[in-house]
Amino acid sequence: MVFLKLAVANLRRHGTRSLLTALGIATSVAVLFSILSFNKGFSKGLARELQRTGIHFMVVPSGCPHEVASLVLHGSVIPKFLNTSVMENIVAMKDVDFATPILVTQLPNAEKFRVDLVYGMEMSRLAAVKPYWEFDGKIPSTGNELIVGSEIASHNNLKKGDVLTYSGVSFKVSGILKKTGSQDDAFIYMPVETLQTILKKPSGATAIGVKVKTPETLAKTTDELAEIVPGIQVVTMNQVMSSISNLAASGKVLSLSIAIITILVSAVGVMNSMLMAVFERTQEIGMMRAIGASRADIFRIILKEALILTLFGGLSGIVFAVAGSDIIEKFVRRAMPYIPSGSMVDFDPVLAAASLVFVSEVGIVSGLYPSWKAAKISPIEAIKG
Amino acid sequence: MIELKGIEKTYLRGSEEVHALKSIDLKVSKGEFISIVGPSGSGKTSLLHVLGCLDRPSKGSLLIDGVAVENMPENKLVQIRRKKIGFVFQQFYLMPGLTVFDNITLPLVFSRQTIDKGKIIRAIELLGLKERIEHYPKQLSGGEMQRVAIARALVNEPEIILADEPTGNLDSENSEKIFELLKSLHKNNLTVVMVTHNNDLASRADRTLLLKDGKFIA
Ligand SMILES: Nc1ncnc2c1ncn2[C@@H]1O[C@H](COP(=O)(O)OP(=O)(O)O)[C@@H](O)[C@H]1O
Ligand SMILES: [Mg+2]
Repeated sequence: MVFLKLAVANLRRHGTRSLLTALGIATSVAVLFSILSFNKGFSKGLARELQRTGIHFMVVPSGCPHEVASLVLHGSVIPKFLNTSVMENIVAMKDVDFATPILVTQLPNAEKFRVDLVYGMEMSRLAAVKPYWEFDGKIPSTGNELIVGSEIASHNNLKKGDVLTYSGVSFKVSGILKKTGSQDDAFIYMPVETLQTILKKPSGATAIGVKVKTPETLAKTTDELAEIVPGIQVVTMNQVMSSISNLAASGKVLSLSIAIITILVSAVGVMNSMLMAVFERTQEIGMMRAIGASRADIFRIILKEALILTLFGGLSGIVFAVAGSDIIEKFVRRAMPYIPSGSMVDFDPVLAAASLVFVSEVGIVSGLYPSWKAAKISPIEAIKG
Repeated sequence: MIELKGIEKTYLRGSEEVHALKSIDLKVSKGEFISIVGPSGSGKTSLLHVLGCLDRPSKGSLLIDGVAVENMPENKLVQIRRKKIGFVFQQFYLMPGLTVFDNITLPLVFSRQTIDKGKIIRAIELLGLKERIEHYPKQLSGGEMQRVAIARALVNEPEIILADEPTGNLDSENSEKIFELLKSLHKNNLTVVMVTHNNDLASRADRTLLLKDGKFIA
């Protein structure tokens, strides 16, 4: 207890230096904790998204499956179309529940003078394809109605009943999609038939979404399909998600390396700060040895100081990270090509504890050398001269 | 209780040898009050180092209660310092972050003894520091700091107090008070060895030793 008081008191004696050192630790722990939290949230979000999707695989033109996957999720345009006639072959398969065409494009918006990402789909299948969607309003029942994603709605101040015109065709907003937290918020959804007419591709589709009856035998179904229909390629949602996580994985490695490096740099800061403290307190340490402290006692006192310093820094870092999680999330959402819905940086006590354990280990390691130096100080330093 | 036989201490200053102590023989008996005087650099502090088991002699033998300690390993020396010796320093050396009470208990913490709060508080009161128990060193006067340091030296109930110029940083009034305190401790059977520059105080000890160039000349 007295040792603890002593360690805290000593840290406060070099207040500014201790604070700056702790700040270094805090920053690096905040980075580490945010990255770990984000990675966890990302994986959880992906798994959740995968579980909720009403579609098991997509049929796309052969050649560029990942572009299509990213376009369906992300909304860029490639000029390659499938013919919806392949749907006959697909639905003919015995394990297929349903198949539905998806058409993705960008269209200029006459009212708001902007280009919108437009997603054409069968409105009758909407509830099955996006089972977790909620609306303010209703699903379009005619060809000239559409749904607006929450982000677009709030950006453009759109309400139910407003009129939007694309390529000379007017649509009434029948419903606003409530915030999902995913890229879905940034699309306009219209009946696929109307979009086909606008694009003059009466039987064109970017992809065909398929739901099977028994997801366990998905691989068998997709293999068979690839044999029957030439010129297509099958992308399962699992593959889409795993290609996304592969993309994210390289980012993870990079970001984690950066976090580890910043922690190592701040560990050097701790070591330096403690070495200076030991040097400045040579006489005092000699005195403690003279009044009965063993080398091990001195070692422990200095190590405790290093540990308290890093733990204090680490705790503040986690507080910073939690307090700033909204800002961090916004930043990462902008930087990453695809982020699943839901909050990515929920506070996870296990990760917080793990970060603290890690940083304490770093603190102990960086305190070892200064503590050893201190333990070597001779008691005669107390009364020299 | 402490016996020095043919003690020499040689320091290396670069390649030059400094003979700080040359063949010192000294017997400190239980209950004695010895003062050591001598010019600066004559080896007084070096002698206290050896007496207090802070440093090993280069040559000679040191017996504490009949046991030779000059070749004891460091962990045994720590035990001797904890049990038998109390140090008082010219610069007081109180820990600035700890209260008077915590400063005084520090040797007990190091020697893993339980802290008898009542006893310590009574000791503090006896030294006239009652109002200072929860104060920090920077709130004390020099005389008060040295009294706290003496209380700290006594807390382990040592057999001997070694003081290196304990009044060197105090005015004459406070010097007198500290000396009287050491005297009264001595009356209660404590052995005291005090290095001082104050000839008046030195002469009031049982025995005064004059050190010059590492040798006793009186
Ligand atoms: N650690 C040391 N290294 C080298 N020389 C020292 C050391 N300690 C003391 N000395 C030298 O030994 C001599 C005696 O010093 P000291 O015992 O401190 O004398 P005093 O306390 O009487 O002033 C001096 O010449 C001093 O410079
Ligand atoms: Mg001296």
